[in-house]
Amino acid sequence: MIVDIVQTLLNGLAAGAAYALLGVGFTMMFGVMRRLNLSYGATLMFGGYLGALLASRAGGALPDAALVLLAAAVTVAGATLAGLYVERLCFAPLRGRSGVAAMVSSFAVWMQIEEFSTWLLPLHTNPYPAPFNVASWQLGALTLRPEHLLTLLVAVLVAILLHRLLRASRFGLAVRTLSDSPAAAQAVGIDAGRTTLLAFLAASTVGGIGAWLVLVADQQVTPMFGMWSMAKGLIAMMLGGLGSIPGAVAGGLLLGVLEASGQALFGPQIRELIAWGALFLVLVLRPGGLFGRAAFDLDIAAHQRL
Amino acid sequence: MDFYYSLAQIIGFHTLLGLSAYIVLQTGQVTLAQAGFFAIGAYVAGMLTVLAGWHLVPAMIVAGLAAAIMACLVGFPALRVRGLMLVIATLAFGEAVRLFFFNFDYQIAKGDVKIGPLGGEGFRQIRWFPENGWTSFEIMLFVWAVVALVAGALWWIDRSRFGAVLRAVGEDELAAQSVGINLTAVKVTAMTIGGFIAGLGGSIYAHYTTHIEHANFNVLLATFAIAYPILGGLRSVFGTIVAVIFVQGFLVEGLRFMGDWRNLLFGALIVAAMNLRPHGLIDAATARRLARLFGREQRRA
Repeated sequence: MIVDIVQTLLNGLAAGAAYALLGVGFTMMFGVMRRLNLSYGATLMFGGYLGALLASRAGGALPDAALVLLAAAVTVAGATLAGLYVERLCFAPLRGRSGVAAMVSSFAVWMQIEEFSTWLLPLHTNPYPAPFNVASWQLGALTLRPEHLLTLLVAVLVAILLHRLLRASRFGLAVRTLSDSPAAAQAVGIDAGRTTLLAFLAASTVGGIGAWLVLVADQQVTPMFGMWSMAKGLIAMMLGGLGSIPGAVAGGLLLGVLEASGQALFGPQIRELIAWGALFLVLVLRPGGLFGRAAFDLDIAAHQRL
Repeated sequence: MDFYYSLAQIIGFHTLLGLSAYIVLQTGQVTLAQAGFFAIGAYVAGMLTVLAGWHLVPAMIVAGLAAAIMACLVGFPALRVRGLMLVIATLAFGEAVRLFFFNFDYQIAKGDVKIGPLGGEGFRQIRWFPENGWTSFEIMLFVWAVVALVAGALWWIDRSRFGAVLRAVGEDELAAQSVGINLTAVKVTAMTIGGFIAGLGGSIYAHYTTHIEHANFNVLLATFAIAYPILGGLRSVFGTIVAVIFVQGFLVEGLRFMGDWRNLLFGALIVAAMNLRPHGLIDAATARRLARLFGREQRRA
């Protein structure tokens, strides 16, 4: 019984660590732009498809270890590159103007990127290079999957690096100022366009790393991945509190644990329903998110700009 | 010719979907729940005609009311939040509805086959139109009669005192509140009317395709629902109709010959439209110009 609970918790935290990265990427974009980037999932899917494309074209020619590393690099770079495309096309021209128009534009680009990815690899299921040959290790009664350990490790590493970047660099200071108050950022001479672009790219990179971790655990990428990763990132971000990076980490971990416990109690088909139901309840009962500080004020600011 | 009748039907129920979002957008609320109400309408109407053997019209009305009640219930808590929080809360609701139907089984045996919704398999054989011998042309007339009724009612609301109240809330909540408008009542009413219209649209959709499944009612459909009125402009119901014809008639059907390139161009055209006309295809200035045009003609006549 206790073992089951610990096992569920462990599975949940491992899945949740990847969700947390997806959520952090999403929340950073929202923080600097106050805009919801609907093509976030599609850009991650594009990165994943590039990795799978590499594996299908060059799979035999490269040693396995090189393929895994190269696929990781291509996936993260692809997500960042697609992020650049989205920012320039949907958000830069409409900065400070109609938020709804930017959202609809990013929705249209979502379909565009998704279509382009499936044009690259038309199959429904595409194998993604995975680094581990061992299926799992036994530690007493517990089962440990190497992918889970990798996910936890990488997520902690990224979180530390991101914390350094945002707390101890000039760029981080500019990003935080812009997130807290666009007017103040303008007053002290921060280049909003450049800072937004760079923060957007950093967020795409973090999201790309999260996507890579998920794909390595799944060992495949499908056309559903874009929608799926955006849903997970969105729920993680909103559970924790909009615009708050520690909140997104906590929200991602909570989402992972909620899903794993729901699955353990009621079966796998209830997983997604629990995730969306929890999001609806949290938003309605505590609009600022579970751990949000002043996220509700941010929302009012966002509303005024919308 | 059947192709064009069928296309007109598609444009018809998409217009209803767009109009259901139009009235909610009038109050300044961006909602992604419309696909959920559309799904409720589709499943309820399908179950009433197929399982209970009802006539389509009462089934549609009951389906619309079911969606409206749901919209009212969701509206009270959901409209406490605003802006992006509302977008995401309604998205969560829409997805929860979709996943509910993904897990929803209610089958009864009719003869030697089992009919009714079956989870991920969907709900097959909603064949009220062919069973009653309706031709494609008649279905089209029926669909557009419903659209005309709904669009006419919304057009009238736009010109009534209630329409002014809706727009006042949409323009500036604080100002509206300070002249004594009850924000919650107005927003929930708009949401309920929107739910009813989406339910009507969903019930037509179910009988048009004859086979519905949860995946039809995803966030893509919900985004289409708000994209139509935003693309068309919030000044007139005709904007929404023009936008649906532009998207479904031109972008989706008209560009079919382009094959794989269609969706790429589709995205580009919508981005271009939003960049060039951020307030919609028919914005305030166009609406004024149209009104002046018609006004002058009336004076001459």
